Amino acid sequence: MDPLAAIRETFFQECEEQLAELESGLLAMEGGDQDPETINAVFRAVHSIKGGAGAFSLEALIRFAHVFETALDEMRSGRLAPSNDVLKSMLRAADVLADLVRAAHAGDEAEHPGAATLAEELRTMSGAAGAEDESEEDWGDFEFQPMAVAVEGAEAPAAAPAGFKVAFKPRADLYAKANEAALLLRELTRLGHAEVELDAHDVPPLNEIDPEAAYLSWTVTLTGDADETSIREVFEFVDGDCELEVTPLGGSAESEGGEPAFDLSSLLARVQGDAPAEAAPEAPVEAFEPVAPPPPAPVVAPVVAAAPPPAAPPAAANETAAEGQAAGGPRKTEAGATIRVDLDRVDRLIDLVGELVINQAVLAQRVMEAGLARASAVAMGLDELEQLTREIQDSVMAIRAQPVKSVFQRMPRLVREVAAMTGKPVRLVTEGEGTEVDKTVIERLADPLTHMIRNAIDHGLENPEKRAAAGKPAEGVVKLSAAHRSGRIVIEVSDDGGGINRERVKGIAIEKGLISAEATLSDEEIDNLIFMPGFSTAAEVSDISGRGVGMDVVRRSIQALGGRITISSRPGKGSTFTMSLPLTLAVLDGMVVSVNNQTLVAPITAIVETLQPKAEDVHSLGGHARVISIRGGFVPLIDVGMALGYRNEPLPATQGVALLIEGEGGARAALLCDAIQGQRQVVIKSLEANYRQVPGVAAATILGDGRVALILDIDTIVTVSRGDMRKAG
Amino acid sequence: MSMTVLTVDDSRTMREMLRLALADAGFRVVQAEDGIHGLEVLQAEPEMPQVIVTDINMPRMDGFGFIEEVRGDQRYRAIPILVLTTESDAEKKNRARMAGATGWIVKPFNPVKLVDAIRRVAA
Repeated sequence: MDPLAAIRETFFQECEEQLAELESGLLAMEGGDQDPETINAVFRAVHSIKGGAGAFSLEALIRFAHVFETALDEMRSGRLAPSNDVLKSMLRAADVLADLVRAAHAGDEAEHPGAATLAEELRTMSGAAGAEDESEEDWGDFEFQPMAVAVEGAEAPAAAPAGFKVAFKPRADLYAKANEAALLLRELTRLGHAEVELDAHDVPPLNEIDPEAAYLSWTVTLTGDADETSIREVFEFVDGDCELEVTPLGGSAESEGGEPAFDLSSLLARVQGDAPAEAAPEAPVEAFEPVAPPPPAPVVAPVVAAAPPPAAPPAAANETAAEGQAAGGPRKTEAGATIRVDLDRVDRLIDLVGELVINQAVLAQRVMEAGLARASAVAMGLDELEQLTREIQDSVMAIRAQPVKSVFQRMPRLVREVAAMTGKPVRLVTEGEGTEVDKTVIERLADPLTHMIRNAIDHGLENPEKRAAAGKPAEGVVKLSAAHRSGRIVIEVSDDGGGINRERVKGIAIEKGLISAEATLSDEEIDNLIFMPGFSTAAEVSDISGRGVGMDVVRRSIQALGGRITISSRPGKGSTFTMSLPLTLAVLDGMVVSVNNQTLVAPITAIVETLQPKAEDVHSLGGHARVISIRGGFVPLIDVGMALGYRNEPLPATQGVALLIEGEGGARAALLCDAIQGQRQVVIKSLEANYRQVPGVAAATILGDGRVALILDIDTIVTVSRGDMRKAG
Repeated sequence: MSMTVLTVDDSRTMREMLRLALADAGFRVVQAEDGIHGLEVLQAEPEMPQVIVTDINMPRMDGFGFIEEVRGDQRYRAIPILVLTTESDAEKKNRARMAGATGWIVKPFNPVKLVDAIRRVAA
């Protein structure tokens, strides 16, 4: 990629980070954070975006960022109070800025509908209605701008004699700022033919020399095409740190001192004979240079060889440096020790580690089969290998882990938008943003979370009047939290709304034929009805969440991640959706079972319990459909071998084991298998990449003995079998 | 002998832009993300940079603080420092100069002029 294009991508990536920083900062301030570093960080974010946008000439972005930055600067300096209204506008401005960044990224040049209004709002805030012109000017031209200096004799006619006399006397400050007279003179000599006269009059006797003082001055007669502006430009950086007079040749200002002034080049000739002309002007200056330059001064001229060593001679300087380095040893550069790695490389590594895990397991099994003693050196070495392999696996997985922050950060804006659309004031509270989980999980969390938060505001929270009637504060609270719990990540979305209206939910479910009118359901079961496909509680299909996708879609996407979602609701108090997800998608805790001599793996997360069916608990519904009674309730008994086509006649229930699993809609089923082999962590291998999608099979894995085992797609099996059962029943 | 330039900027974009412009001109570039990091790099860097280019607005330690630290340290005080900032307003520039900046470059910079400015102040 063209390096500039690569930097452009970096810029947009960085913009996303800055936008996130901006938003979280503003939200923190809204929540009462008064740390000056917060507003500074917020300011810096916008400032950085503006800076980068400038580099890529993204005009719309520059203009808006500039106005935004100005307002933030007013706030930072305390002239604009961070009231709630101000912060609300700033948050909206942050949204607009985010839109502009994305539009710029996409190369979209359409006007942003809200930008102009909001920019106006910001300008009014900063009381900078008049500052607009100035801002335009600021961004018009980024050339070096020579400081406008009013010069007497500035009327210097263009047709004046071709040349100037430049009188230049540095002050000590000039050197203290690491400017160098020699370099300025060198610069000047590039503008034309220069004759340089040094005035060393003020140099005191050697024993009185103050190395930090400035004693020398120069008069340069410059002939050529150079104009006064370009001459003054040479001295741009030292304006104020020197006396400077630029007069056209033939003008009045004469160098008064001029008696022993000697020609620089002749001095140099005496001093150095063979020095390159380029370095010429440096010699005398270096000699008197108050501060020793870091590299050994190349031209300590014989003429001044008797001079006392300057304040910090190079050698001493090096020593100090060395000491400092030793002393500052522990303060090494550990800051920002991160690298950016292509995701493909990480994935390749994860794949390889997966292979390693499998290989190690195969090897272990072979060794065991060879009948080696547990204490044999080989077996012990293998134990160690196993431990190392596991550690490598964990470490590699950790590379892909990222804090959920990146997806949580998208939610505040969503909340603002939905709140505005529904007219319900909402506060979003987030917790555990630093909780880490696999990158893929994070990416695939965005959609379900978006949907759930929309739901929580749209359906969960009551409108302000109802809330007032219930004695609740007008502002509803939606809480989003993440935490690690027993090797999984648990994400909760809760609201303090009215909770699930169970009567209504049940009514709808009956109406839609999802349950029979006579069904007696527990509160929990009723609550879970909202996850049924085709269920939508919105009495009036609203703009926000009534888009034809219901909670069943959320549930399916969570399940696709190997996760589960449950709801708990308390009438009048609100609802909580709890999602539990694996930390990684690369490995899975599985129950290894055998069915008709095939080895299969069922995800442990789906399994509620395992049981040995007793003859009296199993009831036939006709055909091959059976149910099993578990603690008084009936659940369908699904013969996995039949479902996957491994056999044509059902396995007698008493000859197998049943896995009680929980599938879609919270519905349970029992999967009948021949035997359980054990519980094992398996590396998931995509079947689709190597074969094709097979109903009832989610993926495959390779077991310790080297055999391929299929991983069951529990939900499909349950859904398909239930369809069969309906037909049968 | 190639000249070493230390760039101090919290923006990755800006750091990369600087690197591109400076590397093209044949400079060796070392980078830091803020003032404190800049001091750490100075200390750890075996080859003392001949020029420092620093941003002003940075977390932890801003450009002013960084310049003051560099100027206050015998080892580094002779290194020319160019301030790189979008602030073209005189106040920021003056503050930087008061702190000891050698010169300044207005962002967004023209790579040629940036290199030019570095050559102007570098010995």
